[in-house]
Amino acid sequence: MKNKAVLKKKLTPYGYLLPTIILMLILLVIPIVMVIGYSLFDNVIANKNPVFVGLENYKTVLTDKEFWTAVSHTLFFVIVSIIVHMIIGMTFALILNTRYLGSKTKGIFRVIYALPWMFTASVIAILWRMMLDPNGVLNYFILLFHISEEKITFLASRDIALQSVTLINIWSGYPFYMISILAGLQGISPDLYEACSLDGANTIQSFFGITIPQLKPILISLLMLDFVWTLQQFALIWMTTGGGPVNATETISTWIYKQGFTKYQYSMASTGAVLLLIVCSIIGVFYVRHQRSEE
Amino acid sequence: MVGKKKTSVQILVIILLILGAVWAGFPILWMLSNSFKGNAEIFTFPPTWISENFSFEAYAKIFMNPEQVRFFLNSYMISAIVVVLTLFIGIMASYAFSRFNFKGKSVINTIIVSVQAVPPITLLIPYLSLIVTLKLYNTYGALILTYLVFTLPYCILMVTGYLNTMPKDLDEAVMIDGGSRWTALWKILVPSAIPGLVSVGMYTFMQAWNEYLFALTLTKTNDMRTVPVGINLLMGQHAYEWNQMMAMSVLGSLPILLLFLFFQKYFIAGMTAGSVK
Amino acid sequence: MKARNLMKHGVLTAALAAMAIGACASADDVTLEFQQWWGVELPDGALQEIVDGFTEETGVKIDLLSNPYADTKTQISAGAATGTMADVVGLDGAWVYDFAKQGAIANLTELMTADGYDDSQLSDQIKWEGNTYMIPVVNFAYPLYVNLDILEEAGVSEIPTTWTEFLEACDAIASNTDKAAYAIPLNTEAPNGIQNQFSTWLWASGGSLMTDGKPALTDNESLVAVIDLFKQMKDNGYLSDGAEAMKEQDMVNEFENGRLAFMVDGISHLTTIKTESPDLNFTYAPMPVQDGYEGESGMDVANWGIGIAENCEHKEEAMKFVEYMMSPEVNAKLAELANAFPGNSTAEPDYSANDELFLTAYEIFQSGYAINEFTGAPTAEDLMRSMNEQLILYFDGDTESVDDMLAATQEAWEAAYN
Repeated sequence: MKNKAVLKKKLTPYGYLLPTIILMLILLVIPIVMVIGYSLFDNVIANKNPVFVGLENYKTVLTDKEFWTAVSHTLFFVIVSIIVHMIIGMTFALILNTRYLGSKTKGIFRVIYALPWMFTASVIAILWRMMLDPNGVLNYFILLFHISEEKITFLASRDIALQSVTLINIWSGYPFYMISILAGLQGISPDLYEACSLDGANTIQSFFGITIPQLKPILISLLMLDFVWTLQQFALIWMTTGGGPVNATETISTWIYKQGFTKYQYSMASTGAVLLLIVCSIIGVFYVRHQRSEE
Repeated sequence: MVGKKKTSVQILVIILLILGAVWAGFPILWMLSNSFKGNAEIFTFPPTWISENFSFEAYAKIFMNPEQVRFFLNSYMISAIVVVLTLFIGIMASYAFSRFNFKGKSVINTIIVSVQAVPPITLLIPYLSLIVTLKLYNTYGALILTYLVFTLPYCILMVTGYLNTMPKDLDEAVMIDGGSRWTALWKILVPSAIPGLVSVGMYTFMQAWNEYLFALTLTKTNDMRTVPVGINLLMGQHAYEWNQMMAMSVLGSLPILLLFLFFQKYFIAGMTAGSVK
Repeated sequence: MKARNLMKHGVLTAALAAMAIGACASADDVTLEFQQWWGVELPDGALQEIVDGFTEETGVKIDLLSNPYADTKTQISAGAATGTMADVVGLDGAWVYDFAKQGAIANLTELMTADGYDDSQLSDQIKWEGNTYMIPVVNFAYPLYVNLDILEEAGVSEIPTTWTEFLEACDAIASNTDKAAYAIPLNTEAPNGIQNQFSTWLWASGGSLMTDGKPALTDNESLVAVIDLFKQMKDNGYLSDGAEAMKEQDMVNEFENGRLAFMVDGISHLTTIKTESPDLNFTYAPMPVQDGYEGESGMDVANWGIGIAENCEHKEEAMKFVEYMMSPEVNAKLAELANAFPGNSTAEPDYSANDELFLTAYEIFQSGYAINEFTGAPTAEDLMRSMNEQLILYFDGDTESVDDMLAATQEAWEAAYN
């Protein structure tokens, strides 16, 4: 009888997890295992009888100069994106949480700030391509206010194309932080701030003393998710520059796409994907460790 | 002295507020303005702000076309179902992660984080063959299940975060009073986590609403397809319907806008703090 | 109790998911799926009307499936790998080699022989290893569009016919107007600017990228001359800004808004340009040729091709449908509607309802010959992309000489042919 109760207690968490585990196992883990399998064969899909080549593909990818260029562009893209996302998201969330504004004003601006959130990647790509065009509306302002005397070719210049694409990604991604932080801020008890201000702390001190520590679990989840998502951002880059000019905006995801769907080197594409998977698993391990140490 | 400081902070806040609004809102205004123009006028230089030939034609064309209306209905339905399922299943999983210690917890957690890392484009072919095997090809079910598994990891990680910010005494109190864990979760924890859940739910909705690649690949007939596919169908080989694309995007964002307005109150300070007490 | 409760919810979830599962309908009579991107390019409902004609004739139903053009290739790849490809598919000549090699599309030579089809009426067939895999249904020619108002503003009285005259015209446009003379879309996503706006100059002067079906870029004098021509245009600022991120559609937008004097573009855009910019004063002209070239000009063509999926279960009916699409009357009608030239050489389209400019283009087309060396080439899009990249590197001065540029491109191309 007692054993049964213990067993039941032990099994409870698995019960809660069961639907998740079943769904993820069938719909995510199986395809991923298939991708891992592809990466060990020579030229799958395009070839009816692929040959097992072991880690040969990994050797090819890891010694490919273009792949490493893509890696460095990806790092720039990801790191700048998530830092600026965090700064903008946090700033907007704090502004919308101040007591200096009426609740109506806050309501209106909450909606305005969340706008970039509401559009699918292809629309964002089209919209920004229009705006960043040499004859687009941004260049109109640039000439009008004499910011530069020449039209700026944001996406066509090899020097600034990567920055421009990153800018687009920043615009489209920060509301995720803003909304999540805003939600997190509501969970912080006002008593904490009151106690803090009684101690004579100023706004900045209470921000670092209370807001940040209280939001920490959410912030860490946000950063990690954004890292993983931005790492494989594809549609925005592909539809604006296609990885070009030359390879100025080539990231791992566009590299993978070209391997898979224009060169029909599906094994190489899978290998690239598995490498991303490995990197993110390592990050996942650190994240989980961190979560555990928090408890 | 204090009053002076307060006004200067207030001015700073207002300046930031306006700058932020320009940054976030200008591209959308531009889109809105373009949706009332003719296709060629969109690319004039210098740009026109309010079209001389201002017309609702692009919108009318969408409403007159039953196929395009269907895209919207499909999107609503699929996204709504996905939100409900994701939240329900995700909350259960998050509860396990937040309140229990069990064998394999770290492993499962790590898997949940890392499965998101595989670029969808590489999953396309194996995933499609799986959906075909499950006889789900060209059904709503295919899209619902896909978005469910794609949004679950995010939902679980975020909700676990929100639950972790809530003291354990909260649900333990219920159990001491003789309530079950199940009641503790749904009657106490979930209501307290509503701002977080609303934000997760809305994000899930957005993901399902805006996903394009799988929406296209897992379906073949237009009656099963969603708004992003509809928008991309307006980009032909030779002819682009720019104004209709813009109009469709504007229309597509409206329901989300409404949802957002509707759930506004959950972002208002102090609301949860009050209910927790 | 709790566990059971949990179970119940789990079951509920599963049931909800299962509810959404629909079964694939299978009809007794034959239904063919025809996946294409053409419907949106034609007048509303026109394609449906055409395929309905086939159903009337044979009783075989046709389901029209549409995909965005940019994604069609990816979708066919995925469909071929999983057996979900539509029975009959619209194809672009640039994809044929890869799909045929993968075994995604069926050998049409076999099917035509089995059916006793007379293929001499077809103006062209796209082959792989000696067998036909795609039949061009209609062809789109790429003539030179000329904005006459810009020429007048620049003081150019005659439409240039040679490169020298063309460069003089460009110079006049650059000095006397704020417009661009020519545009080449070099966006990496869709690198077909190399085919339509670059190679077209080579073909018009009788040049070629290949010898005996193999890349021949090095020691290719005419090619070097074309690259020099473009380098001059680039260095003198004759080209539209932002070429490296431009797509073909962007170029058309520039032309529609009167910011571009010359462009090479499909005649298929004629109707759109006429409706979007009714006041634009433009015409078609033959491509300017290299000074002293007297031969016939090759004119770049792109096509809407048709093929049959290898996994199609009703290949015989599918072939009948292809034959129907290629039959003189249907083919002629399609050509009229699409502003294109028929793929059946005996088709006699009645272009009287088409714009008179279209007839100008038709005359130009008939005075030369159709050519597109990327059709049927292996990983054609990738070939264009590598040349695109090398061209930009040369424009920017990263590659010192034309020879280096061509050697690098040749190397990339050869890899695809091995």
